[in-house]
Amino acid sequence: MNRIKGNQYINLKGVPCPLNFVKTKLKLETMGTGEVLEVELDDGEPITNVTASVKEEGHQILKVEKADEYWKLLIKKQ
Amino acid sequence: MTKKIYKDNELAGLRTGGIIKQKQKDYFILRTRIPGGHLKADLLKKYSTIAKKYGRDYVHVSTRQGIEIPWIHIKNIPKLLKDLKKLNILKGACGPRSRNLIACPGMSVCRFGFVDTEQLAGKLDSVAFGKEVPKKFKVAITGCLNSCAKPQENDLGFQAQGEPEVDLSKCIGCTLCAKVCEKVCLRGKRKPAIIMDENKRPIYRKKNCFFEGDCIRVCPVNAWKTKMVGFTVYIGGKVGRFPKFGVKIADFVKESQIPKIIRNTIRCYNRIAKKGERFGEALERQDLEKIKEEIL
Repeated sequence: MNRIKGNQYINLKGVPCPLNFVKTKLKLETMGTGEVLEVELDDGEPITNVTASVKEEGHQILKVEKADEYWKLLIKKQ
Repeated sequence: MTKKIYKDNELAGLRTGGIIKQKQKDYFILRTRIPGGHLKADLLKKYSTIAKKYGRDYVHVSTRQGIEIPWIHIKNIPKLLKDLKKLNILKGACGPRSRNLIACPGMSVCRFGFVDTEQLAGKLDSVAFGKEVPKKFKVAITGCLNSCAKPQENDLGFQAQGEPEVDLSKCIGCTLCAKVCEKVCLRGKRKPAIIMDENKRPIYRKKNCFFEGDCIRVCPVNAWKTKMVGFTVYIGGKVGRFPKFGVKIADFVKESQIPKIIRNTIRCYNRIAKKGERFGEALERQDLEKIKEEIL
C-alpha cells in the first residue's frame, strides 16, 4: 500500500475525550476540501470515539493504524 | 359563609383521570401525558398558559414524561377541562389504568438508536394508553441496549436491537470493530462476538453479540452495516415499593407486531392478576412459556 501523507498533522496524545475530537474538528475547519489530516490519538476511547465522530461529521477516513501505544488516523476533509 | 355544593357534572370531571387530589384541601394536580416525550414547542407554550391561569405559575416535570400542574382549585376544574380540550393538551392517567407510553429520543437524533422511538410511541398511544387494568400498566420503548427509557422497569418494555453484518471487500483491517466489541462483551460477561483472523479480517460470532451496534458506529469505512432491526421484549418489570426487573421473552420482534403484543399483554394482565396487583407479581404464579405463547 502506498504511504499516504497528511497535508496537516496534529498530535493529540494525552488529550482526553471530547477535547481530542473538538481539536480535530477545529483543525479540519481550517483545511480545504480533499486535504488530508493526520491525527495521533491515544489507545482506548480516544481512537474509537474520534473515529466514530469524524465519520458522523461526514469526512472520509483513509486509514486507521496502530503504532506502538498510540493510533494514527488519516482523515480526508469533505 | 355558605358551603359550596358541587354538582354531579363537576365531580364527574375528577373521575375521568388525570386529576389527582393534593394533600391540601380543595386543591388538585393536573396530570398530562406526552407520548414518547415528544412535545411541540407551540404546545409547550400552552402548558405555560394553563399553569399561569389555573395553577401557581410553575409545573412539575414527571418521571413518566408528563407535565403536572399543581394547585388547581376544585372550583376551576370544569373550566380547566374545557380549556385542555381546546388546546389539545392530553390528560394523563391515574387509578387502575395503563399509563403514558415513554420513549428515549431515538434514532432521529441519537447516534445509538436503531429506531425512531419517539414517533413510534406517538403512534402506539391509542393502543397502550388509558386501558382498564387491575392496578397500573406501563409501557416503555427504548432505541438500543443503553436502555435510556428503562424497558426492564416497565410492565412491558421494548428495546430496539440491530444485527450487524460485514462487507469484507470494504474492510481496511483497522481492528476497531473487534476492539469495541471486546469491551462490550467483557462487561456483558461473554466472549467477543468479533475477533480478527490472522489477516486482520473480522470474524463475526452472532451467539455472543449484544446487538448494540458499536461495531457499526466505529467502522471508519462503513464495512459494518445493520442487517436487521427488531425489538427485545421484556414483561413484568416494576419499581414501586417492591421493585423487580422484567424478564426477556423475545428477541428481534418486528415493529409491526408491537400493537398486537401490547393488546395481548394487557388482556393477559387482566386475566391473571387480582385487583390491585401488578403484572410482574401475577406472573410469579404463571408458567412463563404459556404466557409467552399468549402474548407473542
